[in-house]
Amino acid sequence: MEKRASVGDRSGRAKLAIALLAVLLVLTMLFSLTSGASDASALAVVRDWLFPSMSDGSALSARDRIIVYDIRLPRVVLGVLIGAALAVSGAVMQGLFRNPLADPGLVGVSSGAGLGAIVVIVLGGTFLGPVLALFGIYTLPLAAFSGGLATTLILYRVATRRGQTSIATMLLAGIALGAMASAFSGIMVYLADDRQLRDLTFWGLGSLAGATWTKIAAAGPIIALAIIVSPFLARGLNALALGEAAAHHLGIPVQRFKNVAIVSVAAATGASVAVSGGIGFVGIVVPHLLRLLIGPDNRYLLPASALLGASMLLLADAVSRTIVAPAELPIGIITAAVGGPFFLWILLRKRGVLDL
Amino acid sequence: MIEATGISVSIGSKRIVSDVDFEMRPGEIAAIVGPNGSGKTTFLKALSGDLPYTGRVAINNRDIAGLKPWETASMRAVLPQATALSFPFTVHEVVKLGLMSGRSGALAGEERNLPERALARVDLDGFAGRFYQELSGGEQQRVQLARVLCQVWAPVLEGKPRYLFLDEPISSLDIKHQLTIMDIARDFARRGGGVVAILHDLNLTAMYADRIYVMHRGRLAAAGSPRDVLKDDLISKVFECDLKVGALPAGNAPFVLPQSVAL
Repeated sequence: MEKRASVGDRSGRAKLAIALLAVLLVLTMLFSLTSGASDASALAVVRDWLFPSMSDGSALSARDRIIVYDIRLPRVVLGVLIGAALAVSGAVMQGLFRNPLADPGLVGVSSGAGLGAIVVIVLGGTFLGPVLALFGIYTLPLAAFSGGLATTLILYRVATRRGQTSIATMLLAGIALGAMASAFSGIMVYLADDRQLRDLTFWGLGSLAGATWTKIAAAGPIIALAIIVSPFLARGLNALALGEAAAHHLGIPVQRFKNVAIVSVAAATGASVAVSGGIGFVGIVVPHLLRLLIGPDNRYLLPASALLGASMLLLADAVSRTIVAPAELPIGIITAAVGGPFFLWILLRKRGVLDL
Repeated sequence: MIEATGISVSIGSKRIVSDVDFEMRPGEIAAIVGPNGSGKTTFLKALSGDLPYTGRVAINNRDIAGLKPWETASMRAVLPQATALSFPFTVHEVVKLGLMSGRSGALAGEERNLPERALARVDLDGFAGRFYQELSGGEQQRVQLARVLCQVWAPVLEGKPRYLFLDEPISSLDIKHQLTIMDIARDFARRGGGVVAILHDLNLTAMYADRIYVMHRGRLAAAGSPRDVLKDDLISKVFECDLKVGALPAGNAPFVLPQSVAL
């Protein structure tokens, strides 16, 4: 028999939660694959996937197959990648800043990444042409990554003094950086032509619509890399919860660790913003809920965040596709409508503790 | 053995620590005393490798400047003055962070319940499931000591002594737990480790320390055994108040009695 877990040790509960979240994600993916205008059933999709050669009456029609494999599947894959990236980068950033309110969307990193992407979209046809030719489909994610990285570095420099991050300074600096990025983005919008303008409006609200295998090929590797790196950050982030000096005493090479964490946050955020625009609040809602459930140990928090973030974004996407069908609501509206009140709730619960 | 030679630390243009020499053999408790702002914590931070310093710090004959962070972490653990956590960790989870370097020196199987044993040592039985943020300052300090103990559970590992650096470990504690903590330090030293502690209570210092380093305005004012260092004129001058040193009948151990200005 398993030895009784010691009091205060939530690792058993956390492992169970991760297993359940993995099941939830599989179910959500199946649900997303099979819900929509076409009536291809979940059973048929699974059967077709497992036994593609079988052709009895229940097999997918050619039309359904196109819908499932070329329209819904890329959208589901993109949703999983983006949801996981947003939730993990939120959790990593919160650990890095030692602050439960740090989130790439709230502190201007997404805006910075957005500016990088907008510059490429608008100026891509002009003097940036050679850059576009050189990096191909990776231009947009790389530009967004650069914008996000620059913003994160500035933010860290401004808000952190001697290893201590001031919550107030961080949020205010985030507002300032976000405003600057918006101002430059505004100038770019002013320069844009009609076609670019349509792209920008649609993309600025955040959406998974228009997911293609090309977009996945462009952003997927960067996001996947950032998510694969995240478990290796867990111990360092745990140590950092005690403060930078204590992390150093525990044997963490603090400066190098922070550099890796910052680059991975910027990479995940940048790549997400590049393909799906600014989808807010996933990075703050998901890790916060999970901390209540399984505690703040990053060894479990990071994988659990990836799983729950992916599930939540797929569900939000399902709502965005169906609530005003046959039209579609940008997913950023859904996450903001849910995340905004949630954020206020966190503030109400914590305002005594946070000392803003 | 810990050897520090010619340690100076400047923060900005201000010199906080000037040319301090320090030496500690395994089996000893070395106390650092001195008035507020005399550079005690800054000196300990230099020993811990937290601050840029000039001079040389060697632990077990190895210059810490050339060691990887995890190599240093396997030889010494550091208890800071106070630690605030920004996330809701349980006491058990905080203590377990001490096992991160994976070289606590616990026996196989022992490591599994090391957090519980460390908590029992600091008299926090039954606290494992509590949230750290909800504890009192003194309780938090003892939780941190339990974490630090986990990191260097065995005072000697593979024939090499290990060290505890304690920055005011008992300042926020009641008298019973001051003694509990100092007994833990003494036990750690008697079993072959070494302890450096910044202390304010001169009487407990006299009781427990093998060597006392007195700091004054960033410099070493005196160093030696309690009986050599605790002299009326020296400590009165350093602490800038009238202090009388007496001797207890039992064992002739010195004690320090403050003389009120009004008397």
